[in-house]
Amino acid sequence: MGESPFVVTPHKVKGAKRGFFKRVILMRPKKSLFDTDSIEEIRQEKEKWQREAYGTETEREEVFETLSGIPIEPIYTPEHIADIDYIRDLGFPGEEPFIRGVHPTMYRGRTWTQRQLAGFGPPEETNKRYKFLLQQGAMGVNGVFDYPTLRGYDSIDPQAYADVGRGGVAIDTMEDMRILFDGIPIENVSSSLVTCQPICNITVQSMYFANAQARNISLKELKGTSQNDFLMETAITIAPDVSPPKLSFKLSCDAIEFCTKYAPRWNPISFAGYNYREAGCTAIQEAAFVIANAIACSEELIRRGLKVDDFAPRLSFFFSGHSDFFEEVAKYRAARRIWYRVMKERFGAKDPRSLALRFHVQTAGVALTAQQPLNNIARAAYHALSAVLGGAQSVHIDAYDEALCTPTELSSLTALRTQQVLQLETRVTHTIDPLGGSYFVESLTNQLEKKIVDLLDEIEGMGGIVKSVESGWIHKEISGAAYEYQKAIESGEMPIVGVNCYRIEDEKLPIELFQVPETLEIQREKLERIKKERSSTNVQKALDAILRCCEKDGNLMEVVVKAVKAYVTEGEVTKGLKRFYGTWNPPLF
Amino acid sequence: MRKIRILLAKPGLDGHDRGVKVVARALCDAGMEVIYSGLHQEPAMIVETALQEGVEGIGLSILSGAHNTIFSKVMALLKEKGISDVVVFGGGTIPQKDRDRLKSLGVGEIFTPGTNTEDIVNYLKKVLETRKESKT
Repeated sequence: MGESPFVVTPHKVKGAKRGFFKRVILMRPKKSLFDTDSIEEIRQEKEKWQREAYGTETEREEVFETLSGIPIEPIYTPEHIADIDYIRDLGFPGEEPFIRGVHPTMYRGRTWTQRQLAGFGPPEETNKRYKFLLQQGAMGVNGVFDYPTLRGYDSIDPQAYADVGRGGVAIDTMEDMRILFDGIPIENVSSSLVTCQPICNITVQSMYFANAQARNISLKELKGTSQNDFLMETAITIAPDVSPPKLSFKLSCDAIEFCTKYAPRWNPISFAGYNYREAGCTAIQEAAFVIANAIACSEELIRRGLKVDDFAPRLSFFFSGHSDFFEEVAKYRAARRIWYRVMKERFGAKDPRSLALRFHVQTAGVALTAQQPLNNIARAAYHALSAVLGGAQSVHIDAYDEALCTPTELSSLTALRTQQVLQLETRVTHTIDPLGGSYFVESLTNQLEKKIVDLLDEIEGMGGIVKSVESGWIHKEISGAAYEYQKAIESGEMPIVGVNCYRIEDEKLPIELFQVPETLEIQREKLERIKKERSSTNVQKALDAILRCCEKDGNLMEVVVKAVKAYVTEGEVTKGLKRFYGTWNPPLF
Repeated sequence: MRKIRILLAKPGLDGHDRGVKVVARALCDAGMEVIYSGLHQEPAMIVETALQEGVEGIGLSILSGAHNTIFSKVMALLKEKGISDVVVFGGGTIPQKDRDRLKSLGVGEIFTPGTNTEDIVNYLKKVLETRKESKT
């Protein structure tokens, strides 16, 4: 076997238009972790074991593969990772290639942020739940917004009537934002605003910023995250009246640009892989789509004149914590190493913070069941464990009643306690990247990395992520994967306890279900009062400024932050934008 | 034999459409004709589409909790338009007591999380073929 004395390092060739990596041999003496003779001996012994021990017994009748279809072998040995160059491929936490962790100390310095979602009804009610969770030890706010707010509608909009207060808190004006965060020290506590769609984010984040300024908190000090992901508007939950991809993408980049200038500690985007996964895609697609999205945003911001190190340190990611334990760990690690290579080799980033992929994990809602809901406590705990072993910066654990209703106080508390048990009792936080070096995990990480990069190349070949949305390619990929997943459950190939095995017929639910409080009338009354009290001149001026900004293709967040201070409503901002940019006829499948 | 025609719709502003798309494909694979309306449908639009397309069943997918309001509206509109014989069924996060209440309004089966798509296919075949038989 001809052993090359040199390390073959993937290296981008200047001027190469397609693909991420072109293989070029870099002249660096190879430093093998393992002795060639040892590897050969292991290989021979393994073959003997396979013939004489393993092979003489029966395997379960099952296809041994990860959820995304990567075959899993009976055992992994140094042979699987014989090519690893520790310094180049693994390194140390907080240093290139960042695969072992984004900070030098990771959880030995500071635990991940325990950030449980809350949102329902009017802001008065959600404010109480935020306070409850913070009192019980949550380390940050994680706010979800109701369906009308997510779509840019006011609570009194005719389309909104059935959904006000559902799925999250209703926000119409700055007054709602003031109530929502009343008594919460946002100068110290970071807030994650789950403003999935940029059409929502442009107004809701502006209201958050305007509210902070009204409380004399400088935007320069404000810590937090907004989701603001254009794929959420144009590929996931697409509806007939949504913004066209170009507007949605512009709004997203406007917010990033605004924060780069005025709110440098804010993460203005959280590429929502979690949601793509919930919609159906695999772990490989999840990672590829977020990175492709991040690449497109980076290119746009550079086109606008920013330098990569101006904004890249604040690009953040949001992953699912799904059921295939080791695949999830490998996914997080692979994503970190790919991002590092993309930022360094493609964008020439120098700031180490640009090279380090920081992420939040939400444990997979789609993996939880309506049947025997208390089982979900175990599921979510395993999901969270994989997130922590994968080096997440912040985690939300889904409540056990996820498949049934908005979380109750008890189910939210149980989820938070699960995080605290994981943090304080298991000692998995006492060393960094404990699964690093595992023959299986490193092999799986390498395989996932290759598949993710192949998919990134495919998207690149289509012209990038925006084109793949406009053409409907991404919608087909996601709904196709969702259908395969369902077929696997129905055939029994994917066992789900309580659903296709160990069922209890005529089950009685052992839990109370949450009731969303009456919200529409509260919001209607508030809106009527605000509309009477606000200055209609100022409102008109603000709306005119938004229109002029659209005409000039200026930064819309700059004008919307001012507009919300005049108590322009979210619906009014949205209508103005859609009137100018139109809406889109999206692909349905 | 004429294919069963079903309209599947996402009413209200709920954006969770993974389930309804899976059901759409399953019904198609079972030989039915499926019209999928997409998101953000208002009850009036759903009923109008049902009338125009001559469907035999309407499936509503609601994961927002807005089911009581929406199903009631759809049932009332169907009555108004004189097409109450269209089977209305649905799915989503709909608790047992609400399912009972919806049944009393004339809504058919509600298929909650964990349902096997084969059960939906069998239900529709049974209830629609029975109707055809009782008409002849």
